[in-house]
Amino acid sequence: MKAILTSFRMLLKQLSKDGMLIVLMFVPILAGFFFRFGIPYLEGIITQAMAQTSVLSDYYLLFDLFLATITPYMFCFAVTMTMLDEYDKHIIGHLTITPLTKNGYIISRLGISTIISFLVSLLVVTFFSLTEWTLGKLICVCFLTSVLCIGVAMFIFTKSRNKVEGIAVAKLSGIVMLGLIVPFFLSGNVQFLFGLFPTFWIARLTIETDILSYVMVITVSVAWIMGVKIGFDRKMAQ
Amino acid sequence: MIKVKDLAFSYTPKPFIENVTFEVNNGEIFGFLGPSGAGKSTLQKILTGVLRHYTGSVSVNGVNVKSANAAFYEMIGVDFEYPSLYEKLSGNENLIYFASLYKNHRDIDALIKSVGLQFDANKRVYEYSKGMKSRLNFIKALLHNPEILFLDEPTNGLDPSNALMMKDIIRLEKSKGKTIILTTHNMQDATELCDRVAFIVDGKIRTIGTPRNLIMSRGAAQITYSYIDESLEKFASVSIDSTAIDPSLLAAISCNKLSSIHSSEPSLNDIFIEITGRSLQ
Ligand SMILES: Nc1ncnc2c1ncn2[C@@H]1O[C@H](COP(=O)(O)OP(=O)(O)O)[C@@H](O)[C@H]1O
Ligand SMILES: [Mg+2]
Repeated sequence: MKAILTSFRMLLKQLSKDGMLIVLMFVPILAGFFFRFGIPYLEGIITQAMAQTSVLSDYYLLFDLFLATITPYMFCFAVTMTMLDEYDKHIIGHLTITPLTKNGYIISRLGISTIISFLVSLLVVTFFSLTEWTLGKLICVCFLTSVLCIGVAMFIFTKSRNKVEGIAVAKLSGIVMLGLIVPFFLSGNVQFLFGLFPTFWIARLTIETDILSYVMVITVSVAWIMGVKIGFDRKMAQ
Repeated sequence: MIKVKDLAFSYTPKPFIENVTFEVNNGEIFGFLGPSGAGKSTLQKILTGVLRHYTGSVSVNGVNVKSANAAFYEMIGVDFEYPSLYEKLSGNENLIYFASLYKNHRDIDALIKSVGLQFDANKRVYEYSKGMKSRLNFIKALLHNPEILFLDEPTNGLDPSNALMMKDIIRLEKSKGKTIILTTHNMQDATELCDRVAFIVDGKIRTIGTPRNLIMSRGAAQITYSYIDESLEKFASVSIDSTAIDPSLLAAISCNKLSSIHSSEPSLNDIFIEITGRSLQ
């Protein structure tokens, strides 16, 4: 336990030495400010100009969901960048043969950060949401997006050899957020084409709380993580 | 201390490490000697619990390395082939960090001094030369005063004086009763440091013995000499245990006609080539 906390402090030290990563951690808060205050202001202007009663407000929930997803996403991206650096410098290999062990290292990087990013997403959504959230829904969605981001982190780590490649893969994996939009714009069976995106089910269960969405979000997330974990374990074993 | 029986492992479906069986005694320096690509580092990774998909049995100080845990890693120190250091931190900060992962650790300043890095300890590792990184990485393996040391090519890329310093530290650790596994492709290091060496080629151990016995196994050293005979220089050689029955040597000595003489011991490299059919370089 002591070793895990020491290792986590090293993560913070590395993040603090990297300007880009510090900025990234503030992106969710900046986005939150913009969504909470900028979007309703824009809505006022647009509805007046178009002489409509609502344009953007139909999608306020989507903005909230986006916020609940980018918070853990930015955290996991920053953590993955430091992990790639450590991998590149053979440091992970060395930590594996210290009392930290490989599992301790993974907990200190992905485990603790997930808990923190979960708590931060709760706060960010609470402060900046445009729609009403029940506590149950809040915890459920933030938990699901945080778990999703462990999968994204493992994916970026597995698929890139260094930070530069990591940034490219991270941009690509941003596609997962596409799933959030689908239930808002597609109705009927065609939307289920996006059923492989966990984010599709996360968005869907905030719109209509049917049991299917709950079952599917768990099934799809678990399947993704198990799939990504194979490559992740292989890379960690080198 | 270390017991390996019928070990087999490969990165690919093709067999690589096979039929590896050996034991290392308490307090011994045991060498893995072999050319690049022989599987020495792979073997070290198996012994330290990094690679666990092997068959056969491997136990280190009574622990099956497949279940190596935090307690096991308090006991061993590993210096890998490549330095593993945080480049943005200073040498000192690196050691403080790695030391804090253990229950106890040695005096860090003394360790830094032992490899002559005391004036660079506060520089960022980023600014270190390759040799300085190797030295820092080496003492990183000693931080927690481990009972068993695994050193992968510790003198590789060092200048002679620094290599000498490392070898002295390795001998000092041995004198404290530590068991040391030393991986090397340098026959000089193996001859000077190891109590026993295993010759490794293509993932297999070809022979194990003390450097002295292996060298002696080749038979006696050779004497080569030259002498002046009818104003011509002639060359000859004779085994060191047959000088009394070599008439031309006896004649040259008795008539003061020797112009040169020297004996040549076979080196561990000669023995290596003889046994494995491969050179170390
Ligand atoms: N992680 C790996 N994946 C696949 N092959 C590897 C890996 N590491 C080493 N090898 C291969 O295994 C062989 C032995 O490597 P190694 O144990 O490093 O040899 P040595 O330390 O004796 O030079 C080499 O052919 C090397 O290319
Ligand atoms: Mg090697």
